[in-house]
Amino acid sequence: MFQKLSASISKRALSVYFYFIVFYLIFPILIIFPISLSNNSFLRFPPSNFGIRWYHTFVNDPAWMQATILSFGVAISVSILAAIIGTMAVLALERRNLRFSNLLSYFMSSPLLIPHIFIALGVLIFTISLGIENSIFALIGAHTAIAIPYVVLIVGASHRQLDLTLERAARVLGAGPIRAFFSAAFPSLLPSVVAAAVFAFFVSFDELVIAQFLMSGRETLPMRIWADLRLELRPTIAAVSTLLIILTTVAMFIAELLRRRTASLTNT
Amino acid sequence: MTANRDYGKWLIWPAIILLILFILAPAVEIFRASIFDPEFTTEHINRILERDIYLTILWRTIKVSLIVSILSALIAYPVAYFIVKRPRQQQFAFLFLIFVPMWMNVLIRTYAWMVVLGREGIINSTMIALGLIDESIQMLFTSGAVYVSMIQILLPIQIVTCYSAMTEIDFDLIRAARILGASPAQAMRKVFLPLSLDGTITGMIIVFMLSMGFFITPALVGGPTDLMLGNLIEMQVEQLNWGFAAMIAILLFFSTLIIVLVLRRISKMLTKSLSRGSL
Repeated sequence: MFQKLSASISKRALSVYFYFIVFYLIFPILIIFPISLSNNSFLRFPPSNFGIRWYHTFVNDPAWMQATILSFGVAISVSILAAIIGTMAVLALERRNLRFSNLLSYFMSSPLLIPHIFIALGVLIFTISLGIENSIFALIGAHTAIAIPYVVLIVGASHRQLDLTLERAARVLGAGPIRAFFSAAFPSLLPSVVAAAVFAFFVSFDELVIAQFLMSGRETLPMRIWADLRLELRPTIAAVSTLLIILTTVAMFIAELLRRRTASLTNT
Repeated sequence: MTANRDYGKWLIWPAIILLILFILAPAVEIFRASIFDPEFTTEHINRILERDIYLTILWRTIKVSLIVSILSALIAYPVAYFIVKRPRQQQFAFLFLIFVPMWMNVLIRTYAWMVVLGREGIINSTMIALGLIDESIQMLFTSGAVYVSMIQILLPIQIVTCYSAMTEIDFDLIRAARILGASPAQAMRKVFLPLSLDGTITGMIIVFMLSMGFFITPALVGGPTDLMLGNLIEMQVEQLNWGFAAMIAILLFFSTLIIVLVLRRISKMLTKSLSRGSL
């Protein structure tokens, strides 16, 4: 009796602890919403009057808009490139008897373990010695490289659960390797490829330090936010942040659902 | 069919070339730039050794990263345990609460802490409104602010790593230990803890490596004495001192590597002695 009581108390304590930590993780993010709706010129809490003044500033300021467009352009290129190159790598790693395949898997995930500032400095020095500074292609390439591990992990996990019988049947019935893959295996792999593309998009869209080192003259959105945060704390950032928080949450929710759908499709 | 197993091998090449161009070659370039300018030079090493400030910042970076990774592991462990004990359907929802902050832009999360901890931030204005304090307390631009924000930023990664290690554990083993007469605490300490320790330390090492390269958070919420190696690299790059920046990056790389190897060692010893029951 006593043991049962103490077990239920410790269970209750654990769940209180859990919600406290979730509060610690999420509350600071939520607090940005009301700030973004203030009409005050300076950061203060609680705002003394409300309005969408800072959303107007964001949309009508060419510097913010150009940064947003540049970031979208880079991130979309990165997500397409990383999804294609990463999926190709998964097909080679999972299906072929590659020599050094363990070593190659480690190599594919190496960008996860190296600090971005190290990569940023290296690519900067490399582009300088090649004489191609300030190149947007170097930025897209570097972002694609740091997005590759995510694609390999996500698509690789779903590929391991794939039933390859159908593809083999297509081959036996005379389809070429490419056609057999695209008609039999690819449809069930597609949700995870899309999920991986979403993750790759945000790896690039949120990345600051590589862009900061490589780009001079043109600003990406994180560079614009960084410059603003260092100089002045205007609530424009709260408006931008609110939009980004909503975008990230919605996209991640969809990506998670897609990832899980692949898992449940192949399990049944 | 077996003859056919060769035809798709080229598919790996685009990824290999990409990583050679943007990870491997740049890493080699950092090594080169740190000691050649263009002839061999010890200028950058000497500069680091001549003044205490650089080694002080190195030591501070290591200290902050170790504290952040240890605290994250201690905070995350019960959270992961709570999630893993839920029914499968609920786990997805609970994990999503952890995933959302994990994927939020680090700049935005740091900005959020500036809003919470600032002079006219939430904590100060709430406490003044409640009459608890008369004047704002300085919380922003302190070491405490750096720890609170860095842990909040890195904690989700630790929770997720701990959680995935715990899902691998066969819970029948704990039931077996209980049937054989172990108390819940004993079953926890002698069975569950050793099995989950390795994953927890892996998470700790990941958090440690990520904190070693941090520079956004210390720059925005810390004071002048909270700067880390990452900030030093950024400042040197702004002043176009690439060679010296490269030497600091090398320092960052090797100190991270050495400490990670030591942590791995400790992890192996701990797991061994825990499962032998000598602890």
